[in-house]
Amino acid sequence: MALINTGYLEYDELKNIQTLPDDERFSKGPVAIIECVQEIPCNPCEAACHFGAIQVGEPITNLPTLIGEKCIGCGMCVARCPGLAIVVVDKTCSDTTATVSFPFEYYPIPTVGEERKALNRKGEIVCSGKIVKVVNPASYDHTPVVTVEIPKEFADEVRTVERV
Amino acid sequence: MLQKDVLVIGAGPAGLAASIEAGKYGASTLLVDLNMQPGGQLFKQIHKFFGSSAHRSGTRGYDIGKQLLQEAQEANVEIWMQSTVIGIFPEHKVAIEKGLDSGKKEMITIQAKKIIIATGASENAIRFNGWTTPGVMGAGAAQTMINVNHVKPGQQIVMLGTGNVGLIVSYQLMQAGCDVVSLIEAAPKIGGYAVHAAKIRRAGVPIRLRHTIIEAKKGENGCVCGCVIAEVNEHFQPIPGTEETIACDTIALAAGLKPTMDLVKLAGCKLTFNGPFGGYIPLHNDRMETSCLGIFVAGDTTGVEEANTALEEGKIAGISVAEDLGLISPDTASNQRKEIWERLHSLRLGPFGERRMQEKEAVMKEYETCIGAPIPIQ
Amino acid sequence: MSTELSDDMIVCRCEEVTVREIKEAIHEGARDIVGVKRRTRAGMGLCQGRTCEKLVQQILVQELGIHPKEAGTSSARPPVRPVTFGELAKGEVL
Repeated sequence: MALINTGYLEYDELKNIQTLPDDERFSKGPVAIIECVQEIPCNPCEAACHFGAIQVGEPITNLPTLIGEKCIGCGMCVARCPGLAIVVVDKTCSDTTATVSFPFEYYPIPTVGEERKALNRKGEIVCSGKIVKVVNPASYDHTPVVTVEIPKEFADEVRTVERV
Repeated sequence: MLQKDVLVIGAGPAGLAASIEAGKYGASTLLVDLNMQPGGQLFKQIHKFFGSSAHRSGTRGYDIGKQLLQEAQEANVEIWMQSTVIGIFPEHKVAIEKGLDSGKKEMITIQAKKIIIATGASENAIRFNGWTTPGVMGAGAAQTMINVNHVKPGQQIVMLGTGNVGLIVSYQLMQAGCDVVSLIEAAPKIGGYAVHAAKIRRAGVPIRLRHTIIEAKKGENGCVCGCVIAEVNEHFQPIPGTEETIACDTIALAAGLKPTMDLVKLAGCKLTFNGPFGGYIPLHNDRMETSCLGIFVAGDTTGVEEANTALEEGKIAGISVAEDLGLISPDTASNQRKEIWERLHSLRLGPFGERRMQEKEAVMKEYETCIGAPIPIQ
Repeated sequence: MSTELSDDMIVCRCEEVTVREIKEAIHEGARDIVGVKRRTRAGMGLCQGRTCEKLVQQILVQELGIHPKEAGTSSARPPVRPVTFGELAKGEVL
């Protein structure tokens, strides 16, 4: 697995390990992408989802599985995952753009309207993004979920924004 | 001489969990720790914990620490901080240098019916030319500086080691506003969880595998101003000609931990050598009792693992002493231990946990074959 | 620049014992951590070997080609942490 040599997975590699939403599911609205690919003892994502869309089961080292039809893309799991390994992607927000909602635990927290460079899994700049939403309630316990709008073609690549 | 039912040494996750169990069943329980604050490493763990959602996972370490302190208070556990155990003597007598409110110290001897040793682990040093230069420190020390003392150890950090400690502390150093220049790893693969490594890579920080630090460069101020790294061969020996200098002012070492064994040795507990668990560790049975009757162990002292497993082992030790003191029935104790062992089993599954489960079972098997039942101290 | 480790390197910081002194102790017959400790004082200082014991173990393993287990572990004696004579004298007698 490239992951243990590089620390990141290409989207194609990820597809082979995780159940990712298909094009049809993406066409229906925002959906969670679970980038958790190792059997570690962890299951808070399962309890975080109020819609039963994430299954871990027993033993808790099972990889989490997303049930696309049940997921509404609310982002509860994004804030809850201790590994910061879940994002929500919405490819339906406009004809040319998509949004990616990701956990961001650095100061300063991005603010709505701000332009920040959008980065891929290896920290490379992919494109410029516009921050469209920042959710940070007490229940997220200091893991703000930031939503960045980017050109649609980068929706499977962008996973965070630069720190400033 | 002060008499107690239970003396717990070390107020980290294992010691707190053990004293909560012992205290809540009515044992007079004293918990001592040499640090200023109880909680052990929990209060520097600012990240959300992995594990089962039924057992506090997804909660940040310091919040788990706060919950445990609350529970300890409710269980009437007496806690002495800045109090150092300097010796364990026959008849379960323990010499403690007690920290007084006045800031002074006083030597006190406690006699306890049961002793639980949960003294944790300490960081391994790594030697390279200049390793004693100011600015070279353990990753755990750097973590204490940022998360407990709120002081940055430096601005540009090189981290040696990519186990979970190296990865997590690198991330937290960035959260604290430091620049992590690079992570260096001698092995051909990243040691810790991929999700932790992914956070480091998303932040644009390179991870250099098959490399090691061969020298810390000393600047005009006498402190670290850089480090020389080199590629290593399959025997982990640096390959001449591959040296490269990286500018940095701090070198953090995340080269694993070793159990803190001095009190276990003093008590006379039988030891075994276990590489994956960090070296020499005390043999113990499934009640966490050592070869010495009435002396129990829990947490990293029994082999380096993590806070989750330490908590569960601490509970087992606490339940076992309550049982031996006649505060709960053997049936109740046995059922509770069974449940906890099942949870420990699930925490020790998967590619990262299986080895630890095998080793733990080997330690307990060796106990059964070599010791059988705990031996009264002469 | 050299990939060689210097023999002048300090291993036990508390007692300022170098790699060279540890190697000499091994050549004089030290076969484990206790043997090195007795000959050089490595591990007898303020930290009681908490930092250097592992490093001494590595040098033993390297010089003698032994398993880390065979390097053993240091013996512990009270007081295991530093304490002043004044406190000891004032304290309760066991």
